[in-house]
Amino acid sequence: MKIKKFFSSQKFIVFVWVLGIAVIWEIFAFIVAATKRTPVNVLPHLWQIIEAFFSDKKVSGKMTMAELIGTACQETLLRAAIGFAIGTVLGYLLALLMNLSRIVEKIAFPYLMLIQMIPILGMAPIILSITGDINTSRIVIAAILTFYPVSANTLAGFKAVEQEKCELMYSYASSRFQLYTKTLIPSCIPYFFTGLKISAPMAITASILVDTLQGGNGLGCMLSQSLKGGMTRLVFWDIVLISAIIGILSYQVMGLIEKLICPYKRTKKAD
Amino acid sequence: MKTKRILSLVSSFVLPLAFGTMIYILWQTEILHRIIGADTVTLPLPSRIGEIIGANSQSIAEHTKITLKVAVGGLLAGSILGYLIAVVAAVFRKWGAGGLALVSAFNAIPIVALAPVVNNWTRDMSGEVDIRSTAAKIIVVTIFCTASMSVNAYRGLTELKPFSEDLMKSYAAPKIVVFAKLRLPNSLPYVFTALRVSVPSSVIGALVAEYFAEDTVGVGRQIRENIVKGQYPTAWAYIAVACLIGIAMFVLLTIVERIVLKNRRRT
Repeated sequence: MKIKKFFSSQKFIVFVWVLGIAVIWEIFAFIVAATKRTPVNVLPHLWQIIEAFFSDKKVSGKMTMAELIGTACQETLLRAAIGFAIGTVLGYLLALLMNLSRIVEKIAFPYLMLIQMIPILGMAPIILSITGDINTSRIVIAAILTFYPVSANTLAGFKAVEQEKCELMYSYASSRFQLYTKTLIPSCIPYFFTGLKISAPMAITASILVDTLQGGNGLGCMLSQSLKGGMTRLVFWDIVLISAIIGILSYQVMGLIEKLICPYKRTKKAD
Repeated sequence: MKTKRILSLVSSFVLPLAFGTMIYILWQTEILHRIIGADTVTLPLPSRIGEIIGANSQSIAEHTKITLKVAVGGLLAGSILGYLIAVVAAVFRKWGAGGLALVSAFNAIPIVALAPVVNNWTRDMSGEVDIRSTAAKIIVVTIFCTASMSVNAYRGLTELKPFSEDLMKSYAAPKIVVFAKLRLPNSLPYVFTALRVSVPSSVIGALVAEYFAEDTVGVGRQIRENIVKGQYPTAWAYIAVACLIGIAMFVLLTIVERIVLKNRRRT
C-alpha cells in the first residue's frame, strides 16, 4: 500500500517539476521577448514552438513542419537503429568471448577502456571522410558508441553471477553450453539492458551529430539548415524538442523491453 | 603460486601490448587500409601523424590549452552544480527524488542539439568573441556533466549503510552533523563513479561544442577545419591529441581516486 501510494505521488511530483520548468522557461521567454531584437533565436515561447509544429504553413518546399520533421526523423532514427543493433550484437559477442577466454579478456579489456576515453564523436568528420558516405558513417559511429556500454555492462553481468549458482550447475554436471544458456546468460540480462539504456540515446545523438556535418535528409541537416537561415528558426526549436523527446523515449523503450523479457525483475525492484 | 600470479600479471601487460603492436604494424604496412578500404590520404600512416604532431607542436599545444580550459571548466562547474542539486534533493527527499528523475531524463537528451543555441545566449555577454564563445562552450560541457553527478551523488548521500543512520540517531546527532560526518563521506565513492562517466564526456562535450562555436579555435574545431581544407594528416594529428587528452584526464582521475579513497575497500 505504502509503495503504491509512493509511486502515485512520484508521478505527480515529476509532473509538477515539468510544469515548474515550463513556467521558468516562459518567464525567461517573456524577458527575452521584451529585451532582444530577435527573440526566436534566443528563447521562443513554448507555445510558439508547439504551434509551429502543428501549423500547416509550408516551411520548406511543399512540406509542413510536421511532415518535414517526420521524414527527417525517420531517416535519422533508421540509421541510429541499424548502428545500435550492430553495436549491440558485437558488444554482446565480445563480452561473451571475454568471459569464455581469459586470453581474449586480457587482450581486449584495456582497449575497451580506451574506447571509452576516446572522443568518438570528435572523430565523426574523419569517419565521414573515410567511408565517404553519410549513411554508412552514421551507422558506424552509432555502432561504436553502442559497443562500449553494452560490452562493459554485459561483462560486469557475467562477473556478478553468484559463485554458488555456478557451483550448483557444476554439481548437476552441466556442460559449459548449458552453464551459459541456463545460468550466465539469463542472469546478465538486467546488466545488458543497463548498457542498452545508456547507449540508445547515445546512438541517436551520434546520428544527429553526423547529420550536421553534411547535407542530406536527417534531423541534424534540418537543424543546421535552419541555423544558417535556410528555414525559419522555429524548425530548429522543434527539432531540439523532438530530439529530446525521442532521446527520452528510446530510454523508456529499452526499459519497456527489459520488463517484457524479464518480468521477474519487477518484483525485485518493488521491495 | 607466486610465480603463477606474476605470470598472469605479465601476460596482462604483454598480451594487450602485442595486440597493439600488431595493429600498429598492420597500419604502418598499409594492410589495415586494404581491410577497411581506405587510402593513405584519409587514413595516414602513424609515422606521418607523429611527424606532424612534432612539427606543429606549438600550435597544437595552444589549441590543447583552449580545449582543456573548456573541458575542465565545464567539468568543475557541472560537477559542483550536480552535487548541489543532489544535496538539495537529499534534504527535501520527497520532492527531490522526482526532480532527479527529471534530471536523469536530461541524460537522454541529445545535448549536441543545444550547442548552437547556447551561442545565442552568450551573445550579449561580451564584445570579445573569445570570451563569449568560451563561455558558451563551458555552458554546454556543464550541461553534459551535471546529470550523472547529481544522480550518483544523490545515491551516495541517501544510500547509507544499514544501522549507520541509527547509530547517528542514538548519538542524538543533529541533522547537520549527520550530513557532515556520515552523508558527505559516504558520497565520495559515488562522486568518483560519476566522474568516471563525466570526465570522458567532458572532453567529448568540449570537442563537439567547438564544432558549433563562433570562435574557430580548439582541438575539436581544428579536426573539422583541417578536414574541410582536405588536410587529413593534420586532422589526424589533432584526433590523436584529442584521444591523448581524454586518456590523460582519465589516468589523472584514477590516480586522484586511488589517493582519496585509499582507506576504503573498493566496491
